[in-house]
Amino acid sequence: MKLAKRERSLLALASILLGFLFVILLKTQGVAGRQMEQQETAVPSLIQTEQENQQLSIDNAKIQIELAKYAKGQSALTLANQQVLEAKINAGLVALAGPGIRIILDDSKREAIGEEDPMLFVIHEQYIREILNALWNGGAEAIGVNGQRVTTNTEVFCAGSFIQINGSRQMPPYVIEAIGDTNNLSAALKFYGWFKLGDLQEQNGITRKLDILDKVMIPAGKFREYHYAEPVKEGP
Amino acid sequence: MHRWKKTLALPVTLVAIALGFLISLQAQTQKDVSAAEQINSDRMIQMKSVLINSKAQNTKLLEDHRVLLEELDAARKKVGTDPRLLAQLVQLQMLAGTQAVEGPGIQISIDDRDNKVLFPLGTNDIARMINTLKFAEAEAISLNGQRIVGTTDIVLNGSTILVNKVPISRAEGIPYELSAIGNQEILLDYFSKLEAPMLKQNGLTVSIARKTVSIPSYKGAYTFKHAKPFIPE
Repeated sequence: MKLAKRERSLLALASILLGFLFVILLKTQGVAGRQMEQQETAVPSLIQTEQENQQLSIDNAKIQIELAKYAKGQSALTLANQQVLEAKINAGLVALAGPGIRIILDDSKREAIGEEDPMLFVIHEQYIREILNALWNGGAEAIGVNGQRVTTNTEVFCAGSFIQINGSRQMPPYVIEAIGDTNNLSAALKFYGWFKLGDLQEQNGITRKLDILDKVMIPAGKFREYHYAEPVKEGP
Repeated sequence: MHRWKKTLALPVTLVAIALGFLISLQAQTQKDVSAAEQINSDRMIQMKSVLINSKAQNTKLLEDHRVLLEELDAARKKVGTDPRLLAQLVQLQMLAGTQAVEGPGIQISIDDRDNKVLFPLGTNDIARMINTLKFAEAEAISLNGQRIVGTTDIVLNGSTILVNKVPISRAEGIPYELSAIGNQEILLDYFSKLEAPMLKQNGLTVSIARKTVSIPSYKGAYTFKHAKPFIPE
């Protein structure tokens, strides 16, 4: 198609305008994107510092109370014993009781037939770990699995035909008990992976049971002596 | 007067309409973006001042904490608290994670920023690695400065990984640093056999080093609102 001179110049003008618009658009997009990024990196460090501040304030207040008690002449032994008990409870070395939930997981009674994957008929250690993670997220105060207290050092490790927990062999059914706000616990559970287990229950016949109880008992964990870690002062 | 060719009338009209539309749209978005930019920069300034405040407070609190701890030590010595009881207390606090520790161990650096990585490191991978370290009898573990304790939860919030309910993402440097104190041979053996091959297969860069690691204390709070010590009847 042949174009007249005037038409050609019009077209050129339009193209220039269009290019100009695109450049502006790209520039504004770039600016917005960069700022979002800056903000994203600032938020985590803010949350971290704030959390540390909160913990330090609590710690400082605790030490001040203790100092005041010393100043009043309270028995040093009682005071130290109180602290030891608190640390024992924190470390999971004291049996606890309270309102909570009980979860029972069991392998399917049915065998895999034909093309079915036999792995989908048994309870894997990962399901237990996922449930523990969800329960801690829901504010669980203490958790036990088959009578084993879950502490700092507790492993839930697949060792072939059994699951190793706290160095002991555990076989199905797996009974997970947790103390905490029962609403929060069941809500957190349903948020993370509970439905996946529901599908396995419907299709493959595994057992997945949740009970809300007025009182569950979580046994005490065992004291473990450390041989490598040494306490150090945490400085700024 | 020069007359327009009929064949060109329609395309030119269309182009003119589209162009007009684009220009007005551009003006509008430009206005919006400037407004958003303004809000964003205001927000950034506010956030920075909050962050500076919070950091200043942090320094002050740490100083207070140090002074108070010294006073406490002095007070304990004065009334003669049994040193064995205090040693037991420290042992228990190491178990609970409320005491910072140092010792021989391994440091694992994981980088998932490379293009050949199929899946970036997820919460399940992290939970599995930590579980393996526990299986290898680690005495203390931390991930990006967060102490791993019994109640530690690892969840994904949007694209951010939260450990102990705190974001652990890093803006620069190695994305994940996992430290563990314990028997170096066992830790190294278990981790390099059970975890490293899988991670490397996924295209992640993994390096494990024996070293003396220091692991910070758990900064969260243990709360027992529902649980009471169980006394058998």
